Amino acid sequence: MSEILIRLQAVTKTYTRGGEALRVLDDLDLEMESGTFFALMGPSGSGKTTLLNMLGGLDRPDSGAIVIAGEDITGFDNAELAQWRAANVGFVFQGFNLIPVLTARENVELPLLLAPLSRKQRREKAEYALELVGLSDRMKHRPAQLSGGQEQRVAIARAIVTDPTLILADEPTGDLDRSSAAAVLKLLGTLNSELGKTILMVTHDPHAAECAQTIVHLDKGQLGSIERRVPGAV
Amino acid sequence: MPFSLIAKNLFKHPLRALLTAASLAVALFLLCVLRSLVVALDVGVRNAAANRLIVQSSTSLFVYLPEAYEAKLASIEGVQNVCKWNWFGGYYQDPKNFFAQFATDPEALLAMYPEIEIVSGSREEFLKERQACLLGEGTAEKYGFKVGDNFPLIGALFQRTDGEPWSFKVAAIYRSKKSSVDNNTLFFNYEYLHKTIDAGQAGGPQGVGIFVLELAPGADRVQVASAVDALFEGGPQRTQTATEAEFNAQFVSMIGNVPLFVTSIGGGVMIAILLATLNTMLMAAREQTRDVGVLKALGFSDGSVFGLLLSQSLLLCIAGGGAGIALAVLSGPGMAIKLGTMFPGYEVTKGTIMQAAILTIAIGFFAGITPALRARGMSVISALRSNA
Repeated sequence: MSEILIRLQAVTKTYTRGGEALRVLDDLDLEMESGTFFALMGPSGSGKTTLLNMLGGLDRPDSGAIVIAGEDITGFDNAELAQWRAANVGFVFQGFNLIPVLTARENVELPLLLAPLSRKQRREKAEYALELVGLSDRMKHRPAQLSGGQEQRVAIARAIVTDPTLILADEPTGDLDRSSAAAVLKLLGTLNSELGKTILMVTHDPHAAECAQTIVHLDKGQLGSIERRVPGAV
Repeated sequence: MPFSLIAKNLFKHPLRALLTAASLAVALFLLCVLRSLVVALDVGVRNAAANRLIVQSSTSLFVYLPEAYEAKLASIEGVQNVCKWNWFGGYYQDPKNFFAQFATDPEALLAMYPEIEIVSGSREEFLKERQACLLGEGTAEKYGFKVGDNFPLIGALFQRTDGEPWSFKVAAIYRSKKSSVDNNTLFFNYEYLHKTIDAGQAGGPQGVGIFVLELAPGADRVQVASAVDALFEGGPQRTQTATEAEFNAQFVSMIGNVPLFVTSIGGGVMIAILLATLNTMLMAAREQTRDVGVLKALGFSDGSVFGLLLSQSLLLCIAGGGAGIALAVLSGPGMAIKLGTMFPGYEVTKGTIMQAAILTIAIGFFAGITPALRARGMSVISALRSNA
């Protein structure tokens, strides 16, 4: 049995929209093991993205605790959260979110600017990450010169280049065609199976969720069900 | 934050960045020129000699004093030397070719103004010959006059009765060692003017425009000035005696409050360029909202994104403003020649460059601070959700 990497205890989050309080996460308890590929599913408004943002230190719960790798991140201030994110989390967004004025290599190098590395070391690490995602020949291309699938692979390279504890992917295939989506899912699967990365992927797509070892279903901010399975080929 | 990201974001829209930088360059160039004009106006006040007094009519600078005052002035205790100065106001060939000319006492002039250094020609010839003149090297260069050349000046204030121009011979060319005297003036013998008028060969105001007094060492200038004015209290022309600095300041004020006027224009230009740069930076910041979210998500601190936005503004202003300041400095000598007649002593000083540099950085700071603060305070999630 793998050790617990993520532990959520009575996590609650309420937003106010149009003067009305909307409880997005409702007293949620959840544990996630290290080295596992999780898919987080649920209907719109079920709290998937909110949960992902909480786990990535982008948002804070109103109450409850979020403990990741033994650290309760709910007590961190903004600066501490930023430092913690830089060291522990890699993000993959639906819309890729690459910096348009930078090349693929420069985009991947960005998180390394926060690490005590020389320019040469940064470059080598970024090139290695791009090699891992199969984009050695696209290092000097800007995002606008890449396909959607290639952009998302650059984003994955950026997410793994710092060797984070946790990779958080929010609908990573949402903007991709079928074959690009399959390539991205395969890549995420490889990162999990071969490099032992813990991945939490929010998705609406049951087909994409089949890549995960554990599928967590959320409904109205509460835990629906947890489905443990053998990941299938995409 | 790497410089490449700052520069690449800034020049994401090269035309917009270039136009803004060009506007800044023009504004800072203009500011340096305007400031240099004010400095040039003030240079006569700042560099005035402490041992010289100016005696003029208390009515107006345009009212002439009797020649007979010269001997009386020389007899006042504390006065070492007296020199007559009469504005001639002629031009060479065309009214456009105008420069300052004064009828004066050559010997007294050279004794009282040690800053006038003769660089070519003969001092003796200037003292001896009636039509001889001492010409500033700026004017000599401009019109190609050399020592020994004869040239005509058409008198505007003092016109010859035969309709012919006045004739002058370049006896010597001078260079001024201090900006209290410019390098463009022509000095000629007062006797030439006076005798010609007396002989009925020319018309014009009689008398002396101003007397310049040189004080004896240790003489009290306030006491001497009071003695002069007291002496002529009963007329025929009452006098007003001032130090050279006071006189120069009064002369500048006669053309209005130019420093205030020029400073107002400069201030207006700066406010306009600040608003234009702020607009550019707000647009640039809006376009980078999602990038700000990405950077923060990757772990960059609020301070880093603040620095990114502020640095872009500073870089834009330093590039544009720096170009404008450099242009003003490089064009300085040429402008000094062009403006020499109106603004002798025109120079882009270190003080002007420093002020312009500080203003450039201030514009960069104030144009960048609002978008930088907005980026700093923006939450990661709202930045990532931005559609900019």
